[in-house]
Amino acid sequence: MSLRSGEEIRLGYRLLDEQIIDVDGKRCGRVDDLELRHDPPRVTAILVGVGLYPRRVPRRLRGLVRRLVGPETWGENALRIPWEEVDRIDAAVRLKGKAEELGLGNGDDPDRWMVRRLPWN
Amino acid sequence: MKTIGKIALGIIAAIGGFLDIGDLVFNTQAGATFRFDLLWAVVLGTIGIAVYAEMCGRVAAVSGRPVFDVIRMRLGFSTGLVALVASTFVNLLTVGAELGGLALILELLFDTTYSMFVILAFFLLIVIVAGLPFGGLERLFGYGGLLLFVFVATAIHQEPDWTAVGNGFIPSIKWDPTYLYFVVGVFSAALMPYEVHFYSSGAIEERWTKRNLKENRLNAMFGYGIGGILACALIVVSGQLFHPLGVDPTDLGTVALPAQDAFGETGLLLALGGMLFAIGGATIDSSFAGAYNVAQFLGWEWGRYRGPRKAPRFTIAWLLFLALGVVLAESGINPVDITEYSVVFSVVALPFTYLPLILIARDRTFMGEHANGRLASVLGWGYFAVIIVLAIAAIPLLLATNGGGG
Repeated sequence: MSLRSGEEIRLGYRLLDEQIIDVDGKRCGRVDDLELRHDPPRVTAILVGVGLYPRRVPRRLRGLVRRLVGPETWGENALRIPWEEVDRIDAAVRLKGKAEELGLGNGDDPDRWMVRRLPWN
Repeated sequence: MKTIGKIALGIIAAIGGFLDIGDLVFNTQAGATFRFDLLWAVVLGTIGIAVYAEMCGRVAAVSGRPVFDVIRMRLGFSTGLVALVASTFVNLLTVGAELGGLALILELLFDTTYSMFVILAFFLLIVIVAGLPFGGLERLFGYGGLLLFVFVATAIHQEPDWTAVGNGFIPSIKWDPTYLYFVVGVFSAALMPYEVHFYSSGAIEERWTKRNLKENRLNAMFGYGIGGILACALIVVSGQLFHPLGVDPTDLGTVALPAQDAFGETGLLLALGGMLFAIGGATIDSSFAGAYNVAQFLGWEWGRYRGPRKAPRFTIAWLLFLALGVVLAESGINPVDITEYSVVFSVVALPFTYLPLILIARDRTFMGEHANGRLASVLGWGYFAVIIVLAIAAIPLLLATNGGGG
């Protein structure tokens, strides 16, 4: 199943929480929240990052989760990916560009984890 | 012809990989305590895992989604997180139990202490994962696990009263807490969710598509089906040898004794060797399943096929699962006790992962013409009901029977 522009989808059912994959096939996060603007509302960006997790849990757990992931900081633990960057939606949200250029997938930077020298690369 | 051969080899590996420490412990104890009475619970659990695995494999092949991808999509972040935490906890217990079991068997085979062997097993498994591709891992441990067919040979050799064995396959409920506890244990040991989660992610690792659907169905029917025969054999041999003697098999070495009784030292070595491969494979499967779940839920890159450089967080996650398993195995708690907890808690956590899976498997938006048909629907929802009942009963029974000890 693949969607073209102009088709309608149910956002909570089909877009929110979906896996994001960049142009090279790299998995680089999930759709943690959505930005809606205009009237009638349209999706203007997908929002990604652990900083958004507190928004996704029940109110009474927000403080605890915020302490774990840090406060919502745009450009760091919360990223805004403009809708124009989305190529298509099939079994994942496919991006037009590379994850690094959008700041996504930094957690899987091998230099952060000293895994370059592991023998089964 | 080539594909038929390949499919057959996959099924054979699945048969050998069916048993793990949970089945070895629970089924042997069930046979010793209730003779053949709980054979029906093995059948119930075996059909259950076949139904669940067939659905997960089909969803992975058709929609490209492994289990925790589906869970995040259908349950959302918050409820999905509950499923993740519960599964991670059970996976940790399982890795600890399997590693401990591995060390117990090595201790029986060679002359060093348990504690040394936990560490040794840890490094050995890392070397094996480093040296073999994904398919090779499945086959090494799957084929080695076939040594456990010595228990089927033992059952035949013992010449039990086959009518009594046959009667064991007729479901019967006794309102005795220990009996009911073992129904939960034997069922749940056959349907350990990590096996299915590993299988589902494995389908993505091996780049399954709709063309693999037949292979998926055959794997579920015959791989798990014939594996279930091994699980039944454990009950029969234990019921035949230990039940009349009133032996309570509380340690893992006892599981292998019926094979020694039937075939001498050869039988014992075959049984211990088979257990080594089966539990070794299960250690890798459960630690990988733990890492798959976390990575998929949080959207990380994942997979043995990606390698550590492309999927560093996934790699570190499964190493961490193994390392925490070492801590648990070295904690001084008997691995057999850890096994009981991991098996009982796994059925408690199961509805959280099973429900979203069935919701996707029936959804034509994701599955098109391969959505659940009538048979898959009836079996799928029927098992959901069974799982719910057992999940609710599991912890009260664990407490009431003091872990089956009465």
